[in-house]
This record gives sequence, structure tokens and C-alpha cells, in this order.
Amino acid sequence: MARPDRLERVTDLLLVLLDTGRPLSLREIAERVPGYPDGHDARRQAFERDKRLLRDEGVPVVTSPIDGEEQAGYRVDPDDYYLPDLGLEPDEQAALNLAVAGVHLGEPIGREALSKLGMGGQWPRRGAPLPMVDLPLVDGLPALPVLFDAVRTSAAVTFSYRGEPRSVDVAGIRFRGGHWYAVCWDRDRGEPRTFRVDRIDGLPEVGATGSAQLPEDFDTDEAFAREPWHFGSGDAVEVDVAVDAAEASRVVTALGPDAVVERSDDGAVVVRLVATDVEALVSWVLDLLDHAEVVRPPEVREAVVARLEAFVGGGSAR
Amino acid sequence: MSSPPDTAARLRRLLAILTWLAQEGEAPIDEVAERFDLTPNALVAELEMAACYGVPPYSPDQLLEILVTDDTVSTRVGTALARPRRLSPREGLALAASARALLAVPGSDEGGALSRALAKLDRALGGPSVEVELDSPALLDVVGDALDRGVRLAVTYYSASTDQTGERTITPRHLFASEGHWYVDAWCEVAGGVRRFRVDRIASASPAGPASPEVLAGALPGPVGVADPGAGPEGAAAVRGAFVPGPDSRRVRIAADPSMGWLLETIPTAARVDTVADRPVWEVFVAGDAWLERLLLRLGPDAEVVEPVEDRALAPEAASRILERYRAATG
Repeated sequence: MARPDRLERVTDLLLVLLDTGRPLSLREIAERVPGYPDGHDARRQAFERDKRLLRDEGVPVVTSPIDGEEQAGYRVDPDDYYLPDLGLEPDEQAALNLAVAGVHLGEPIGREALSKLGMGGQWPRRGAPLPMVDLPLVDGLPALPVLFDAVRTSAAVTFSYRGEPRSVDVAGIRFRGGHWYAVCWDRDRGEPRTFRVDRIDGLPEVGATGSAQLPEDFDTDEAFAREPWHFGSGDAVEVDVAVDAAEASRVVTALGPDAVVERSDDGAVVVRLVATDVEALVSWVLDLLDHAEVVRPPEVREAVVARLEAFVGGGSAR
Repeated sequence: MSSPPDTAARLRRLLAILTWLAQEGEAPIDEVAERFDLTPNALVAELEMAACYGVPPYSPDQLLEILVTDDTVSTRVGTALARPRRLSPREGLALAASARALLAVPGSDEGGALSRALAKLDRALGGPSVEVELDSPALLDVVGDALDRGVRLAVTYYSASTDQTGERTITPRHLFASEGHWYVDAWCEVAGGVRRFRVDRIASASPAGPASPEVLAGALPGPVGVADPGAGPEGAAAVRGAFVPGPDSRRVRIAADPSMGWLLETIPTAARVDTVADRPVWEVFVAGDAWLERLLLRLGPDAEVVEPVEDRALAPEAASRILERYRAATG
């Protein structure tokens, strides 16, 4: 071959870096991997490009100090690169593939994951199509994989949430009602807190592996505030809301049948909620227009009336 | 420089083929080529070249052992670079979330294979850390069943954009979940076209005889005509491509405090278009007064409709209407 194929050079580089038990200097690498230019600068430049390509492809190329004139050595720890075999049976592989095919994440990242596990390429279609599920995973959610990794490595996390610094241990990541949430132990407040991932400002900072200190008895299910009006820090208030037939099915779907305390023949219901954020609850009730009414307690009823009177008083113009 | 720009893509594909092939052992060239979207000739050329890769001392884990015959290719477990690789956090999340999302679909895992696969995946990734919940509207089964059997449904449907409840007969064509809610695209006999319905706004549904073969055979249009944007233009945007405003929708400009930006940003059609008196102005597409009323009530009394001016009366009118209900109850 007149010109060595770069794919061959990169592949051989990966083999050499995986095989070495100690960090190799660039000189040692060039002795083992054919295809690097002879000149010092050109060789360094070519190697840096290959190293960047491997890292962009997710290969954990580690740089560490070594003795000698070059000072920097390189290797890939096989334990960081290879995954222990999952031992997936054919039907389990097919099921995972179906999940990746049926769930839209906004980019083909699930397929890339399957490739790494030996399930790459197109799968033959068979059986009736399942319903499609659309799951926002990438757009506007740079914090999500960072938090996911923090759970797995039990690392403490700090981030800014709507302008306020937070220091938390993440217990789990949950998707509900179209949004991703991080269920956390808030270190500063000494209480469980749930955060909407799309409202985290920028990227969270992740501490060392094992630095998280979740309380032993932390119950993620219990800590996961079920609805927006649970996110506040006020006292818990029990609120009854009457909902007309028109909106009853949607409300009952959202809250679950257990929330219904009264059901009329015409389809209307009364639902009972526990709110810690009355402002959020009022906003939710107003979204139902005149199909819903806070029945009790009086102070929440008055909060709704006050909010409405603010619209009527001066009109919407300022 | 001199190397082709797609080295990264070729490396990714080579590793994907090797890892898959190591599990299969041997596979027909045509099958592998189709699977990895290559012509048979291109596949053979690429693999024959890769079979020469390797570094001294050429032991099995330093050599890509690939055997190409006239009509098959093979490799073996243990050959270099053919073992499963660790997933990045994004990839692990994507796979776990996809599996959890499909598990949240009723009836999706009757054999239990997906649950078993997920358990193995969780173990490898270091424990379960993602949960996905989808709505489970009471009538989801009924709609799904009608879709499977090709049956029409008589439904009572509440349209949020127009604030009207009506009776319609529909033929379900496509069922999907978006933003955590279930939608069905269905032929609507009242509208004479395919319309999108939010399943949790269907108050009642009963079978109304077999669907017409013509309706079942009819093509589903690209983005479905959005008769009820309150039902979820988000779904249209996310699953079917760009949101297309319905024929009767109008543009409304709203000035709101910057702190309310997050609420407006959840509306797919919203765009920041201007700044007036230090306040951002947003433009949204509105198909029904009720939808705009909801938005304005949630934005609060400080938000202001810039244009059209007729819409300025909407929020105070809606507030008065709701207030009447409260006063009637107490008075």
C-alpha cells in the first residue's frame, strides 16, 4: 500500500494501548504501530489526532507521567474499555433491540450502545409494530447523563438550580409527565428534594466516586414528589378540588384513581391532593379553567380568587 | 491531512461488525452486508483489509482474526476488539431509558424477555437508577384493542383548545406516547380526515362496528392536521417531524417577565421575537381561545398580549367566568 490506511494505524494504536501494562511514550508507540511519520513534530501531530479520534469514540485513553525525556505516557486499561459479557439470550437481545427501535430519543445513541454490546446493525422486522414512545433525552438536557453517572458511581453532585446553588446526593432519575427529574438528598437542607433536570443551569459538578452519603433509609419512591405542587417547601395542605366531567378523565389519569374522593353520576369528580407549593397548585387548577374549583380549605380557595381578581382588576394591560 | 475524513465512522462500523460477528461465529456475507448497510463488495474489501491489522507478536488478542470465504465471514470470540465494550453514561442512559419506557407500555413484555435483559443491563451498569412512567389512561386498552382489530369507536372527546365536549366516531390508526402522554391519530368521521386525540381526554369509548377498508388503507399523512393543538402539538413535533399550524391558527404576541421564559419555552411553536420595555416578547400559534386563556392565566396578570389587541380581553374574561363559579358556590 502506497499510503498506510489511517484506519489501520488507529486500530493498531488501540491494540497496542490496550495490550500494554504500563504507559508507553510516543516513541515506544511509534516503534510498535506502523504508519507514523518520522519527523518529531509531524509524528506528534498525527498521534494527537489519532488520540482525539479514539477519545471522541469513547475510548478511555489515559495520559500519565513517565520517566524519561518524553514525560507523558499513554495506555488504555482493558477493564475501563471492555464490559463483562452481559450474557444476553437471543430473545433478550431481540427485546432490547425492539426497545431501541420503538423509543425515540432524538438521536441514534441507543443504537450505538447496542453496537458496543454486539447487537449492531439493522434487525430484521418481525411481528406487529408496537406503539411508539417519544422520550426526550438529548435536547436541552446535558445534565441528564451526568446525573445518571453520578448515581452509578455514588458521587456527590453540586449544581445551580434556577440560580440557586444546590449540593445533593442523587438517588435516582425518573421520567414522569413529559419531564425528567432527579430524586435527591439535599445536603444543605438535610431533606429529600426533587429537581426538574431541564431547569438545572449548565452542567452539574460531580465529586469523587463514592462521595455521596445518602441516608441509609432513603426511599426514592417516597421522596419522589408526585406532582408539581409537591416541590415547594411549605407545610403540607390537604386540598379538595371539584372537577367537571369534561376534564375528569384527564385529571384522574394524571393523579391516579386513589385521589378520587367523590364521583357524581354525570362524570364529575372531587379529588384530594396534598400540596406543599400552593402557588403551583393554583396554577394547575387555573389550567382547568372553569371546569374545576377548589372546594376546601378556605385559604387555598381565597388564593385562587385573589389570583383571578388580579386579572379582572386592571385587565391584562399594565 | 491525507487521511479520509470518515476514519471514525469506519472504526465504529468495524468494531460493531466484529463484536456482532464474534457472537454469531459465522454469517453469510449478504446478511452481514445488509445488516450493516454496505454492499457485499464493500464489506468484503473492508474486512479483508482489517484481517491484516494487528501488531507484533500477533497473538490472538493483538490480531483481528477475520476469515472471509466466497460467501461467508467469520471470526471467533476472543479475537482482538471483538468483546463487548463499556457504555458511556449517555449510551447507558439511552439503553436503560429505552427499555424502561417500553416496559411502561401495557402488554409490551408478555414473555418477560425485556425485564430479564434490563436486569442484566442494570447489573452491568451498576444498579437501576432510571425509572420511566407513562400515563395509563383508563381507555388506553380500548383504543389499542380497536387499533389491533380494525374497529371504529364512538367516543366522547373533550377538546382543550376549543373547550368543547363532543361525540365523534373515529378509526384509530396510530398510537404513541409523547411527553409522557398517550395520543392516537385516528380517522374522524366528523372532520373527514385524520386527527390527533389525547387518549386521556377521551371520556368514553364504545366499539361501533368494523372500520372501512378504505380508511384502514389510507395513508397516514406526515404531520397530522392539528385540529386540536391543545391535544399536543408537542407530540406532533416530536414523533412526526415539524409542527404544522392548523388552518385556523393565529399568531399571538405576548410580553412576559423573563422569569416566565421557562413556561413559554415548553411550547414548541413559541419563539422570542422582540423586546419591549425590557421584557421579552414571544410569538405563539394559537388555534383556540381556551388554549390561550390557559396560557395567560398561568403566566399571571403581568403578562400582556401585545397583538392582536382583541385577545387582551381574553384573560380578564376567563378570570371573571371562573370567579362566577366561586361566587355562585359561596353566595
